[in-house]
Amino acid sequence: MFGNNRWILTLCCLVCVSLPTVDASEKMTVITYQEEPFAHQVKGVKQGMVIELIEKLFNQAGIDYEVIFYPLKRGMAMAKSHQNTCVLPIERSQQRESQYRWLGPVLLSRYGFYSKKALTTPLITLDDAKSYRIGSFLGSGVGEYLANYGYQVELANNDSLNLRKLARGRIELWAADVVTAKSIMNKEGINVGEPELVFFTSIRAMACHLSMDEARHKALSEALLVLYQSGYMTELNTKYGLK
Amino acid sequence: MIKCLTCIWQSIKQQNGRFYSSKSLFMVNLIITSALFILSISCVSSSTLSNLDLATSQPALNAQPLSANPVTLSASVPKWIIAELQPTSLSSEQQQQELQWFRQTGAPFNGMTIRVVSEQINTHQYESQVLAKAFYELTGIHVIHELTGEDDVIKKLSAQIMTGHNLYDAYINDSDLIGSHFRSHAITSITELIQTEDGKYLLPTLDINDFIGLKFTTGPDGIIYQLPDQQFANLYWYRSDWFEDPKLKAQFKQAYGYELGIPQNWQAYEDIAKFFSHDIGVIDGVKVYGHMDYAARDPSLGWRISDAWLSMAGVGDTGLPNGLPVDEWGIRVEACRPVGASVERGGALNSPAAVYAIDKFISWLEYAPTQARELTFSEAGKWPAKGQIAQQIFWYTAFVGDLTNKSLPIVNEDGTPRWKVAPSPVGKYWQQGMKSGYQDTGAWTFLNNTPKDRQLAAWLYAQFVVSKSVTLKKLLTGHTPIRLSDVESPVMTQQAPYLGGLVEFYRSQARNVWTPTGTNVPDYPEMAGFWWQYISDIVHGKYSVQQGLDLFAAKMDSHLAKLEVSMADKPCAPKLNPAKDKSFWLNQSGAPKSEVVEEPVGKTLPYKEAILVWQ
Repeated sequence: MFGNNRWILTLCCLVCVSLPTVDASEKMTVITYQEEPFAHQVKGVKQGMVIELIEKLFNQAGIDYEVIFYPLKRGMAMAKSHQNTCVLPIERSQQRESQYRWLGPVLLSRYGFYSKKALTTPLITLDDAKSYRIGSFLGSGVGEYLANYGYQVELANNDSLNLRKLARGRIELWAADVVTAKSIMNKEGINVGEPELVFFTSIRAMACHLSMDEARHKALSEALLVLYQSGYMTELNTKYGLK
Repeated sequence: MIKCLTCIWQSIKQQNGRFYSSKSLFMVNLIITSALFILSISCVSSSTLSNLDLATSQPALNAQPLSANPVTLSASVPKWIIAELQPTSLSSEQQQQELQWFRQTGAPFNGMTIRVVSEQINTHQYESQVLAKAFYELTGIHVIHELTGEDDVIKKLSAQIMTGHNLYDAYINDSDLIGSHFRSHAITSITELIQTEDGKYLLPTLDINDFIGLKFTTGPDGIIYQLPDQQFANLYWYRSDWFEDPKLKAQFKQAYGYELGIPQNWQAYEDIAKFFSHDIGVIDGVKVYGHMDYAARDPSLGWRISDAWLSMAGVGDTGLPNGLPVDEWGIRVEACRPVGASVERGGALNSPAAVYAIDKFISWLEYAPTQARELTFSEAGKWPAKGQIAQQIFWYTAFVGDLTNKSLPIVNEDGTPRWKVAPSPVGKYWQQGMKSGYQDTGAWTFLNNTPKDRQLAAWLYAQFVVSKSVTLKKLLTGHTPIRLSDVESPVMTQQAPYLGGLVEFYRSQARNVWTPTGTNVPDYPEMAGFWWQYISDIVHGKYSVQQGLDLFAAKMDSHLAKLEVSMADKPCAPKLNPAKDKSFWLNQSGAPKSEVVEEPVGKTLPYKEAILVWQ
């Protein structure tokens, strides 16, 4: 087949050569999003577990960077379309695998279903939640996961809205990261208690543009491994209530 | 807390030389197992187990709430569980006794929540929705059985090994990782679990010799690393009603000079594909295709090829379950050490046979629906059910259930299918004695860094979902057999006419010739990722087939070189061969094989003769 289309290949190669190359010395843009206690801004000061991790990781790898905050969905779109751009923490999944250059895990998360009051029938398996209206937010991997399996998922712009929707009875279950959920409950002053069922564990990673320079990817991968092996990641998890 | 107690209370209220002798292999295992058992008496620290505090057991990610509240269990097995687990190969009394064993042995773990993860197929769906609930009501052990993509299962397993966090208490992970597992020192083997506390947690009726896939989950050291949970094969799938149609048969014979039948080689497959797509084109007013596949840039494209596409072409050497010294990934081993994938180092990944294999994969897309180039595995799965596909060179039998619904155009009114499965045709480099196709063996896998109490509770759940009380019903539900006793049962004899040849396949020696990825692959999680990236680049035109495979083989070699350093202290670590001129290796016997220029003539057989090879 390719023997007959050699001229097309030649043309493709010429086009490839003429494309602008990625400047590996360029500062990297690292996008994150508001998700307490992992990342948030207080009076312009960026803080949280993810912010600390980014600083440690990029310094360890010797790569210049800047952190900016965008909504998750927009951050994911930018990492897909802009060179030298990454977004984190993103739930890594088979469906998303080929769309980014990945680095992880950076965060391990559990997700639970929260309800306003005790359910009349307990949730023993995930399937028991099939008849309920479930709240998640745009760009959420767990929201995608539930929707793909045929659950009734309603997506809000951010997770705080889901807690309010739950309190007002507009959704019956809220699917949320159990650490974030506690933080949101404290901030909103609405306590719905412990989850009915902790149903999913996710690996969250940093998703970068597909053209990411090989040397940079290698440097960051090795730096992350050092952070795990040195015990830094355990300390960081403990500090933020994950371990 | 009140909410949780309410839930529990409500829950309680509710209700040849070609075939290995499996017997001899088992005897070897048994001898090694016995020796290890004697050793273990002095080695296993009883303090590990005596230190268990089940009531206060904390998950590693303590953000999750505990449901460590013991559940009051009824003395008898709930009726719905008995009703659900029918039919079974056990007598009623035997089944009661087996289920009671789970109740009693599980009692110390009552109130614990454990987590397991598997890929998403019908079998695991049944486990997660029904069997997990039954186990909870039997033992009080709450099982969160997650379903996700196979790539995600591998990523999660790797993440647990890398981070040391106890993400899951057990994984149902393909035995394709056996080469990684036996080298890693990260796995608690089944051999070890069987011996725990003098066999205290071993289901007396487990009957491990009854598992048909045990050789796939056993390392070269004779240790059983994983316990099979489900198995399915890649077989040739075709529309038997069209192939038996006298008019179509005559047309094919006139055009190609031989009978329309089960293709025995790739030339016949290609002729039939061309016949239905181009010569026939439309049947009963509906556009039809002589071939179906999927080729989107996605991890599933990698598995399409690494799951034995190269072995069907004949890239590797003879030998079962995998070619020796060169396997179907094109990796050469010498004394269990991987020494190279490129032809320059004695491998076959960029050999003429591999180029032939990938070239056919790409050129045959011409006979598939135009969408095929952009479909993933899950998106393409529904196509055969539409009634437009004449044949598919290899099709996963895990989807038998999806193609037996009476409402489908490919099923007769009496429920018998208008399709059958048969042995897949082989390419021009294939030789007698080579594996004939791929078999997926999803198997229970336990990691060393899981706390012992949690691991044992998960081990009980694993034994429950593969117990004789369960597996016959599970087979009827998911069509993924693991026990010979189920395969040979009268129930499956009754089912055979409705399953298109699945029962005939599993009752034959073919179940040993369709095999998973073997022990040559030392780092499956990382190396599996190379397949989809390089094959995608080739399929979508970034490289010619030869260019792409040269780069791919070099990448494999370079990874093996890295492993040579990082795995230096591990058994059977890679040790890369020095590079030599390609001609040196191509002139040796076996793989890598030199180019075969002539194209064979297409050959077909009637179905009854074609499946004789299974005997």
